[in-house]
Formats: sequence, structure tokens, C-alpha cells
Amino acid sequence: MIDNGLLVQMILGALLGLSVYLPMAAGQLSLATPAFYAVGGTLAALLSTQDNAQAGITLGAMVGEMFLAAGLTAGLALLVGLPVLRLRGIYLAIATIALVEIVRVAILNLPFTGGAAGIFGIPQPFQQPLGYVLFSGGLLAACGWLCQRLEASRLGRSMAAIRDDELASRCMGIHTTRVKLTAFVASAVLAGITGVIAAHYLNTWNARQGSFDVAITTLAFVILGGSRSWLGPVIGGLLLTALPELLRPVGDLRLVLFGLVILLGPVLFPQGLITPALLERLGRWKP
Amino acid sequence: MLRSGGLNPIDPLVARRRGSARLATAVAGALALLAFLGRSSDPAAQPLSPAAPLKLGAALALTGNANLYGQDQRMGISLAQAWLQAQPHPRPVQLQLEDGASDEPSAIAAFNLLIRQGVITLIGPTLSQQAFAADPIAQRQGVPVVAPSNTAKGIPQIGSFISRVSAQSSVIAPLSIDEALRREPGTRRVAVFFAQDDAYSTAETAIFQKVLAARGLKPVSVQRTQLADNDFQNPITAALQQRPQIVVISAQAVDGGNLIRQLRELGYRGQIVVGNGLNTPNIYPICQRWCDGVLIAQAYSPELNTPVNLAFRRLFADANQGRTPGQIAAQAWTAYQVVFEAIQRVQKRGGFEGLTLGDARQQLMQELLNGRYNTPLGPIRFRPDGEVVQGRFYVAQVRMDATGRSGRFTLVREQELPEDAP
Repeated sequence: MIDNGLLVQMILGALLGLSVYLPMAAGQLSLATPAFYAVGGTLAALLSTQDNAQAGITLGAMVGEMFLAAGLTAGLALLVGLPVLRLRGIYLAIATIALVEIVRVAILNLPFTGGAAGIFGIPQPFQQPLGYVLFSGGLLAACGWLCQRLEASRLGRSMAAIRDDELASRCMGIHTTRVKLTAFVASAVLAGITGVIAAHYLNTWNARQGSFDVAITTLAFVILGGSRSWLGPVIGGLLLTALPELLRPVGDLRLVLFGLVILLGPVLFPQGLITPALLERLGRWKP
Repeated sequence: MLRSGGLNPIDPLVARRRGSARLATAVAGALALLAFLGRSSDPAAQPLSPAAPLKLGAALALTGNANLYGQDQRMGISLAQAWLQAQPHPRPVQLQLEDGASDEPSAIAAFNLLIRQGVITLIGPTLSQQAFAADPIAQRQGVPVVAPSNTAKGIPQIGSFISRVSAQSSVIAPLSIDEALRREPGTRRVAVFFAQDDAYSTAETAIFQKVLAARGLKPVSVQRTQLADNDFQNPITAALQQRPQIVVISAQAVDGGNLIRQLRELGYRGQIVVGNGLNTPNIYPICQRWCDGVLIAQAYSPELNTPVNLAFRRLFADANQGRTPGQIAAQAWTAYQVVFEAIQRVQKRGGFEGLTLGDARQQLMQELLNGRYNTPLGPIRFRPDGEVVQGRFYVAQVRMDATGRSGRFTLVREQELPEDAP
């Protein structure tokens, strides 16, 4: 049975999946999501524990943190993206993994981020998990709506063109650097604001939250869900976050089964669960 | 004709967009339904049935990188369960064990699950970092938590429902340094190693270094390592150039074990003092004969000669081919025993009569903090804020046997501390 606490984690997973999907929609394999997630989470943790008010934090203050995190991660993504996006394929992936490590080691060693123990006693904007569900669910809905709009827009079509053939799309007059950078920045902003919600939800924040493991997990959301539509990473994130918890009744075997799903998913669904063909069939279907 | 066949010559892109809009609506509907079904069904308001067993939840790190500790804890709790079930007890207790893994979201999920199942108390989680994430949830819902192995500063201060049976490292750590200095009073040169990406080790090394400073010793070398490191040649060479007489290590079992071994292999002959992360018999196979002589301060000594510790040792040996238990298992036993005894005391007074689960949790928390317990760790009780008060600590030295594959912690000193030391 899925309780609201788990539902929050699922929605956060879906948001992170979307963040990995955005650069991928423009053909860029970026694993930098955990770095921006960590920056957002650390920022929220630092700001909200400033005056040591354990009691609570207003929703407005959290939204403020989200705007700040969005600004900070966008700036960072611009700074990093310009040189890094010149790389392609596996080289870009490695460069973004390096970014994740740099951010992790920085958070571990900065004098004000609490070292390895991290920052704890982060105040809560909501009394019940339902509040987080509604808030993060609303954010997911808004992101989904934007992605749906994006697919029909000029930017979205440019991204799809670059994914199919970067050289050809440049010849057609698409400013590929700008499009790739836009996707990268959007991905960073989404990861950053997700980090803000996660920091409050988790009550505590430390360097482990933005590790290389998270990069792999979020990449798995996209691979299993499908990278050709924004619904793929959303559904992948929801399912893969819930699965280990839903498998609890099988006891010690649950992680074995989870691993099996990760293994068999790409074998049985090479394009992910949500493929363009599936969406087309759904669109033509008449009840 | 075309229409009767149901064919619809629309553009594939339009169909795809319509399909994803439909699927998105379905996902949103499913999420809304899940949110409605999973809305807080807090069992705290329900009355306790008078005779049914009370549910006790434990969330331990059975998987992930803390699983070495979690498995020891599972062993300790199940032995305590077996032993206490055999004693006369007016109220049956049923244990519900869940995997809290080694990360924060899993600990939160396990706590949520157990709370929803109506447990009266929680034991866990294994790591202090997890406790900072999961304990506030139990606190908000008024569920007592007894931490078996959280040693970081500030755990009981998370709230009135949070307590622990694991003494803070600031209490234990100084003892082993003092023992080393007692053996070599002229020591001037000390080197410090710690795993800088581990919450426990960084907190502990700060305490070690404070103790050293208080004894007038400034480390000649401070080396930072990582939990995942296997090769310590560089930091060891750098430290040995300073010719240390004592090496102080704060690390976890695997990296710390390797570090000790490589220190000896590279020719260090002085004393080695290690922290609580190496406080497990699991280090013997790692550093083997090179473990010999390592000094460690402990909150538990297997050599404590009390009936409850003898029972613990006997049960542990029966279940583990004659091995001796370590501190982690002893503390887990203690956590279970403390909760079990508090429940029985409340039951004897008729305290659970006619209460809701929420009130019973509150009542039990009060009883828990007021009691005194005779455990394998020795006699313990709690401060009003939930911090454990343990009077007796131990300094042990590792003695490896002739094969170099197995050994034991031999007691070198037993120390009574003033009861209300921080």
C-alpha cells in the first residue's frame, strides 16, 4: 500500500527523471542532475536553519528558496554548460559526473555545510505528507504541461532535430549551442527546485544526497520509462521509486527482485515503457 | 467506408500528442487516487485491544553499506526476543522488523510503514544521518524511538520521544587515548587519521583531537581518507615521516581494517588507538594478525560478569558457532530489552487499560525514561531528554590467535564514569 510519504518520494523521483530527460531530448547525455539537486537542497537547508526556528517555515519562504535555488542553479548551469556542452556522448557524461563529484566534495568540505553529518532540523512547511503531495504534485503537473507544450513549440522541435542529427539541424539554421544550453539550464533549474522540496521533506541534508549513485538511479528512470516522451521518465521515476517499497512483503529478496526488474526492463522494453508508437495508438484509440 | 472501419487519417504527431495528453490525465488521476487512499490513516486514535500483543517496530540497515551493523543488530534483537519471551511477562509483544537500508529515504519509508501498522515503539534506524531524517517523523506523530546505534551529537534533542541506548562518542573516545598515554607517558608525537566522508568518523576525530589537545598534544600529522579507499600508502607515508608514537584512527570497519594492516606493513611499530567504527569482530579477517595490540574504548565488554550478559554471550555463541558478541549486537539487545521491560511495567500497573494507541505511546515513553535497566552493557538509565546514562565503560585490546584469522577484544581497563557526565 502506498502512503502519502512514499507518494512524495515517487513524485520527487519523477521530477528528477524529467530533469535527466530534458537534455536527453536534445540528444545530450548529461548526468549532472544530482549536482544541481544537491545545490538546491543545500541552499534550502542553509537558509531555513539560519534563525534556528525548529517550529516551522511558511510556504512563501519555501517558494522563495525555490526561486533562489532556480537562479543559483541556472547561473551555475550556464557557467558549466558553455564549455561542457561542446563535448558529446560519453565525454559529456564523464564531464557531468565530474561536476557531481566536485559539488559533493565541496559540500563535504565547506565550513558551513555541516561536513559529513550534514544539516539537520530543517523546518517543515506542511504538517502532513499530504501537503507535500499536493505541492510537488502541482509542480509535476506544471512541468508536465510545459513539456507537453514544448513538444509542439519551436524550441521543442529544435531539440528533437538536434537529437536526431546535430549537424543537419545546424545546417538548417538551428542555433544548436543555444538550444542545448537552454535544455541544460532547464534541467538544472528543475533539479534545483526539486532539491529544495526534498531537503524539507527529508528533514536533513548531507553530501550523500547528491552522489553518483543518484545519477545512475535517475538515469534508470529515463531508460526504463523511455526517453522519447516526457511521460517516460515521469512514469519510470514513479514506478522505480515505489517498487522497492512495494516489494517489502517478499522480505530479504526484495532488492534481488528490484535488480531483476532493472535488468529485464531494457531487455523486454528496449525503448522504455512509453514509446512513441504506444502514444500514437493511445491517441487514435476511440472508446 | 473509411469511417465505418474506424480509421482516422490524422497526422501521427497529432495522434502522439493526443495520446500523451490522455496518458498524462490517466497518470494524474492515478496519483490523485493514491493520494486520497493513502491520506493519513493514523492509527493513534484507535483504542488498544486489551489482550492482543503490542506491536514493536524495528527499522535496521539490513541492506546498503551499513548492513554489517544492521545484521549484527538483527542478531542482537532476535536473541533478546528469544530470551525475554522465555521470562514471565504479562503482556505479549510482537516484533515487526523492516529494512531501513542505509539511506535517508528508505529509513523514512520504513518508519512511516511501521507507524501506520500501529507499532507502539520504534527501534532504529542504524545510522545517525538516517536518524536525523526519520526521527522527526516519529516525533511529530508521537511514537517513541529507541536508537540502538546513533552516536552523533544531538540525536535525543530531536524531540521528546527520541532516546538512545548508545553512548555518545564524546563519552567513550577519551578513555582509549588515556590508556595509550598511561602506557607511554613520554609520548609527544601523535598522528591522526579519519574518514572524511563519514559522519561518524568526522565527529569522533574532533573529539579525539580535543582530548589530545587537552593532554597537551598537538597532532604532528592529520590525514583524511575516504570510506571507499583501499590503498592508504600516501597518507601513511606522509604520516610516518613525522615519526608518530601513537596513531589515532577514526574510520569504519573495512577501510579502518585495511589502514591498520597497511600501517604495520609499512613499518609502523607504535601504538594504535581506534574509534568506535572498528568496534566489531568483523575487522579480524581484514587486518588479521596486524590487528594485534590495537586499543579501543567500548561501551560493552563481553567479559562483564552479570547474569544478563552471560545469557547474552551464551545465546550469541550458540547462534554463531561460538563467536563472542560485539558492542553493536549488545546495544541492539539492550534497546529491545529496555522497551520490553517498560511495556511489562506499564502492563503490571494496568496502565494500558482503556487507552488509545496514541496515549499508550505517550505513557510508554514516560515509563521508558523513568526506568532503570540491567542490561548486557551494565546498569543503564535515561536522562529526561532521552540520553542514555551508562556508568561503566571499558578499554579493550585486540588479541589475535595463532592463526591470525580470528581474535578477541580483551579487557584492559574498566572505568566508572560519574553518572551525569555529558
